[in-house]
Amino acid sequence: MTTITNSHTTSHPVLDGIRTVASSYLLRRLAKALFSIWLVATITFFVIRAMPGSAIDILIQDLTAQGVSSDDARNQAAALMGIDLDQPLSEQYLDYLNNVIHGDFGRSYRSAGLSVTEMITRVLPWTLFSVGLSLIITFVLGIALGTIMAYKRDTWIDHLLSNLAATLDAVSPYLIGLLAILFFGIIWKLVPIMEMRGAMSSGMKPGFTVAFLVDIFKHVRVLLLVYVLSSIGSWMLQMKSNTVATLGEDYVTVARARGLTDGRILTAYVGRNATLPLFTRLAISVGFIVGGSVLLETLFTYQGVGFLLARSISERDYPVMQGVFLVITISVVFANLLADYVYGWLDPRIRLVGGDN
Amino acid sequence: MHIPVDFIDSFWRESVKTFKILSRNKMGLFGFIMVILIILISFLGPLLWPPETSANVAEINKGISADHWLGTDFQGQDNLRKIINGGKDIVTIALLTGVLSMLIAVVVGSFSAFIGGRVDGILMDLVNIWLTIPKFPLLAVLATVLSLKDVITLSVLMALLDWPALARQVRSQVLSLKSREYIEAATMLDLGTPRIIFRELLPNMMSFIAISTIFEMTHAIYQQTGLVFLGIVPYSSANWGVMISAAERRGVLFNPQAAWSILAPMAAIVLFQLALVSFARSLDEIFNPRLRTGV
Amino acid sequence: MAEPILSVRDLSIVYQARRGQVRAVRNISFDIERGESVALIGESGSGKTTVGLGLVRLLPATASIVGGSIVYRRYTNGSSSASRETKVLELKGDSLRQFRWRECAMVFQSALNALNPVLRVSEHFADTAKAHGYLSGYRQTTALRERSLRLLSMVRLDPERVWHSFPHELSGGMRQRVLIALALLLEPQLLILDEPTTALDILTQRNIMEVLKELRRKLGFSMLFISHDLALAAELADRVATVYAGEIIEIGDVRTIFRHPYHPYTIGLIKAVPTLTSDKSSLVSIPGSPPDLIQLPTGCKFHPRCPLADERSQREEPKLIEVEPGHQVACWHWTHAREALKSFQAES
Repeated sequence: MTTITNSHTTSHPVLDGIRTVASSYLLRRLAKALFSIWLVATITFFVIRAMPGSAIDILIQDLTAQGVSSDDARNQAAALMGIDLDQPLSEQYLDYLNNVIHGDFGRSYRSAGLSVTEMITRVLPWTLFSVGLSLIITFVLGIALGTIMAYKRDTWIDHLLSNLAATLDAVSPYLIGLLAILFFGIIWKLVPIMEMRGAMSSGMKPGFTVAFLVDIFKHVRVLLLVYVLSSIGSWMLQMKSNTVATLGEDYVTVARARGLTDGRILTAYVGRNATLPLFTRLAISVGFIVGGSVLLETLFTYQGVGFLLARSISERDYPVMQGVFLVITISVVFANLLADYVYGWLDPRIRLVGGDN
Repeated sequence: MHIPVDFIDSFWRESVKTFKILSRNKMGLFGFIMVILIILISFLGPLLWPPETSANVAEINKGISADHWLGTDFQGQDNLRKIINGGKDIVTIALLTGVLSMLIAVVVGSFSAFIGGRVDGILMDLVNIWLTIPKFPLLAVLATVLSLKDVITLSVLMALLDWPALARQVRSQVLSLKSREYIEAATMLDLGTPRIIFRELLPNMMSFIAISTIFEMTHAIYQQTGLVFLGIVPYSSANWGVMISAAERRGVLFNPQAAWSILAPMAAIVLFQLALVSFARSLDEIFNPRLRTGV
Repeated sequence: MAEPILSVRDLSIVYQARRGQVRAVRNISFDIERGESVALIGESGSGKTTVGLGLVRLLPATASIVGGSIVYRRYTNGSSSASRETKVLELKGDSLRQFRWRECAMVFQSALNALNPVLRVSEHFADTAKAHGYLSGYRQTTALRERSLRLLSMVRLDPERVWHSFPHELSGGMRQRVLIALALLLEPQLLILDEPTTALDILTQRNIMEVLKELRRKLGFSMLFISHDLALAAELADRVATVYAGEIIEIGDVRTIFRHPYHPYTIGLIKAVPTLTSDKSSLVSIPGSPPDLIQLPTGCKFHPRCPLADERSQREEPKLIEVEPGHQVACWHWTHAREALKSFQAES
């Protein structure tokens, strides 16, 4: 839709800037994304700093309990948390925002001195590896199985897979994890217990050696299986219903009337149309990769982002909690943004070229 | 007041009709019966078999036997009894969170869809922003800051966190129904908005509402057991989630004899979730005639 | 004497419904000569679309062909005798796939969703050509493009503009024309059109009709035109067959059918459509509704709605008999139907 032009349009730089942003869908989306990040950062700040019984007060209490004088306690707490307690809250808030933009999330309260950013970057690769790999497997397998279910609709294969998918979807991932440990580790003794704890064997030197790669794979395989099992159900079902709907479309019948091969129809006519909405979901899931699974990483003591978050929660290590939380949110927001753009590019019906559609 | 009476009346008639169709769908009927059974056992069971109060050292970690149908736990207490007593919290949280979040979602979602325009746009933008925040970490973080002593507070908190996602789904349902001809006809007949919502719109969304509530319930169960596992929510009572994490912490997984003290509560939760979901799936087939096979 | 390119004999098709078997097509027989245009006219639910689907073997899973034969004869340009005879009902797998569109192209009702939304028009042409090995070699891409563009301009579309478009960028009428051009790509002998103009506005309808007439003149293919609209049939068809309750009840040359129809149903159809010059009083609508194809009435299937029905109509089903050269009708009262209906209508 075109913007309404005024007969008295002034050429004011700021207003023009706002008008450009308001009229371009892409820029508007970006603005909303940045706004939500700011919102979350602000909420996190106030929840942690300003609520009664906040981290600072608890830290001071702890220190005084250890015999430190209250003044020293205040100073030490301030130094550890990297804030100036005498500053008015508004200034603290601006400092905090400034730090966040520069990627400084403060220092850990419990692991004295370690910067939160450092802690996160240390564990991030493990989570990206495990969840990323599982997402790829789930996506590919989910699409393949969903297509089979749709083509073989109402046969025994379909009934079997549908029920399997629904069952897997219904059970908590955490319970699947417990069952996996129970069956693979103890009852069937297929996987040594040690390999279900931690991301790699202690003493192993990281590097692109075969030994290292084999080791990390051995450690992640059960976790990978659990991730896939807990999420594939809904992907299968969604793909099946999309495919069934697409198979009923006129252009598929016409494609058969045109004498196209079944293979071509499967890929270019059914496949491309049925998987379209799933790509959006994929992009959004990518955002959640960063967070990993708090519960599953704890269960398998897999030292990833989720594990870090869980530990910081139980240790009341507020700066770390806050940092991880913010990082996860930022990646989800940008993944959502990516999802919108990707979908717009994939579906020619809503190609976003410049202005509104 | 006319409107609620009409609504309740049509709700009742729909329920009776539904039950008749339900009895034809075996999976769904099984799920429904299981759910009712679990609810009854969880609430009435403790009255008949109150929890054991003291530990029984002689009976620690025994397997299945005639005396202990599901074995005993690390304190020597009977597992079956603990299962009977352990469901109340879980069921309460599931029901409370599910119903409460759905209630808020229906009100906000349909209101937003009907108002339309700028209000709707802003509301949905806020909901979308809210949805980017990872729920479980947020829940965990909030749980450390607030004190969650009882079941009701936790349910309310979870409902408050979960309703926006549901509201968005409700809104899109209402929007798609709103453009259907019979709603346009009702609007043109000037029947009044409350009547349109209660008599025309909501009855057609019943299946969607029921199914979403049930899925929300399973989600609530998952979140609650997760919080217990992380040690964030302290409970005095031993519900199924507590049983699982307590057993896991004592390395029960590695002792085949004691395995039942973790398997039993797990089975209970899984059974409850599966029953809810199969009931929900059959509702979908019932309410959506197009999914039924045959012409 | 050249044989018809399509010979349908005693074709019967049923659908399986929960209530019972729907006898959609009952012993239908007709021929289509080379270069001829035949129209199948009937109400919705008369079975006419099912006939079309049966010809290209694209019936839904719930339907099955329970009897009859379909023989297709391919003539190569210039020769007067058929080079190949195909029993369509026996085709399977790849040969069936090749038969579709190459020999016999069916353009469906409402082309609004007949094109793949994620593919451009050019890709639709490329797909079709490639599937049949038609001008699909690397060196023939230009030839294919030229031919396709030529077809697009024959259907009165701007070729350059349409070629790179996605379906959603084109209007309904344009999409229908693209589909027609696509149907002619492989130079089929028979073009089946099922309600090609029903979902379109009247101006576009006119456009498409003109396009079809012109194409027939230029390319000389045979056509099976399926519709409920008798007036459209009159413009495009050489011969018309009226279909009722799954069978042909009258068939003949288009002029003859319009000037002297014999079956009360055909008469009713003709009189039901107002013309610019007709009187209000000459309008007649056929009372009642089409029969339940699961439980058909006894005897003549039209008798419950027919003012001329008598005891014989109720008891015995009339068979098609030739009443004039090339004109057949299935009715016990064909000799006096026109007279009787004129007086009947004068009374009411």
